[in-house]
Amino acid sequence: MASPERNRNDRLFPGARGVGYAVVLVVCVLTVIPLAYMISLSLQSDGEILAGNPVLWPAHLHFDNYQRLFDEVPYARFFVNSVVMAGTITVAHLVLDPLAGYAFAKFSFPFKRTLFIAVLATLMVPFFVRMIPVYVLFSQLGWLNSYQGLVVPFLCDAYGIFLMRQFLAALPDELIDAGRADGAGELRIFVRIVLPQAKPALAVLALFTFVFQWNNFLWPLLATSTTDMRTMPVGLTMFNQEFFTQWNLTAAGAVVLFVPTAVLFFFTQRYLVRGVALTGLK
Amino acid sequence: MVATVERAPALAPVRRRAPMRRRQARTALAFLAPALLFFALLFFYPLLRELYTSLFSGPRADVYAGVGNYTKAFGDPVARHAFWVTVQYGLGVVVGAIALGLVLAVILNQRMRGRSVFRGILLVPYLTSIAIVGLLWRNILDPDTGILNRVLHSLGLPTQNLLAQHPLATLVGVAIWQQVGYTTVLFLAGLQGIPELYYEAAEVDGASVWRRFRHVTLPLLAPTTLFVSVIGVISAMQEFALPYLVTQGGPDNASDLYVYQVWKTAFGFRDFGYASALSYLLLIVILVLSLVQLKVGSRGES
Repeated sequence: MASPERNRNDRLFPGARGVGYAVVLVVCVLTVIPLAYMISLSLQSDGEILAGNPVLWPAHLHFDNYQRLFDEVPYARFFVNSVVMAGTITVAHLVLDPLAGYAFAKFSFPFKRTLFIAVLATLMVPFFVRMIPVYVLFSQLGWLNSYQGLVVPFLCDAYGIFLMRQFLAALPDELIDAGRADGAGELRIFVRIVLPQAKPALAVLALFTFVFQWNNFLWPLLATSTTDMRTMPVGLTMFNQEFFTQWNLTAAGAVVLFVPTAVLFFFTQRYLVRGVALTGLK
Repeated sequence: MVATVERAPALAPVRRRAPMRRRQARTALAFLAPALLFFALLFFYPLLRELYTSLFSGPRADVYAGVGNYTKAFGDPVARHAFWVTVQYGLGVVVGAIALGLVLAVILNQRMRGRSVFRGILLVPYLTSIAIVGLLWRNILDPDTGILNRVLHSLGLPTQNLLAQHPLATLVGVAIWQQVGYTTVLFLAGLQGIPELYYEAAEVDGASVWRRFRHVTLPLLAPTTLFVSVIGVISAMQEFALPYLVTQGGPDNASDLYVYQVWKTAFGFRDFGYASALSYLLLIVILVLSLVQLKVGSRGES
């Protein structure tokens, strides 16, 4: 990919730069304002919320809403559940996706092509097709309202395997053969030689997996019905119904859910953007 | 080792390679086993189980119905309505996100200050949980207590009840708000892949700005555009959270998207058999779209 500075596709609209700048600026403002308003809502008093007369920015900043979130609502529990769910799934992806990707990239074995196509075919199976049967299966296993119920459907995925295969295919065979010549076992070669080479791809994989599972809404909504097993995205909507006028607490909860991904994004923007382009465009 | 090979008869290397190949296969299968087990149990088994369930009716999905659920779906006004609403929603989101995303990508592809900051800002909603997006916009758009009408009122403009008057268009707008950054990044990647040479050639030929865009940029972005439209339609067809959180499918089922309808059929009306059949029908539509994309996409590459 050419470096952006040297790409001169910008000859498209010489002279129109000012207009372009204005368009981007307007869209960015429209993007930011609702999120800024969410922060404003989270700092408003109960009075301001209940008056039904919305204000753009509260008269006094009620940071205690964030304290109340943890006192009046089991939000700490929701937070922990979200960390456990997104964290466990991310770790599982970091183990299972490269293992499978490496096998597809560097080994020859019977039915390799068939198996690879079968794995890729799962990309075409949307979650809603698995939703009902997995729900029924998990309810028979007694896995609803449990951590295994939350994480098991997402332990590994074809995107990750494909990403790792593409990346590891470029790894020189000599590196692996050198390991074998030293008498190292296959697993040792994988852990000591292959994984360290794959760090950039693993970083992209970890980021994406974590962010998407942190935000996952449909499955936790379905797989949990007890308060103590709710994750943050579901907990938000739940206490929004129970205490439905308390938009300030809902918004505070949304900010707590939002900030970790925003911070993560701020520090890893380059990788995330590359990841979107990579996983988006084959 | 080399010495052994030299002394061995002609056939020996082949026989010596066989165990090596078998060892490779064993290692590969050991590395693949967890993933393959996962896909078997959590993709292929549920897929078959769903197909099986779709052949039954009744609250416990235990009355054999054959293809009854499927024939019922084709005659069911609720399901047909949900399907067409979803098609409109999908087209709206895709056309809107592509038009806006393409404009933004072309602008951001220029040498401009703060480009990566703008790109970053545009991506933030895409990385925000749909739970936040849904609740936030429900709050903003509320006709009585929402900030939108407060702002319109103070500007002397007529207030709106968008969720009541244009529920589907409003959901389309919210979805575009969330996804346009993603579309922009994909188009930016596409633009970066266009060789500078083509623009130079066009310039030498004296092609105007518009003609360069029309005859160089657009055709060379065609694979990206196709990809963005197909995955956009496919993901729009699966939208659940927005109708669930913002409109509950209403008013008058105007925003009753298909997967939300499947959800209500399964977990509201407890009709797992019919819901499974509805899922399968949508799966077929999505598979056809995916195959079209694969087919056209690979033809474009060769």
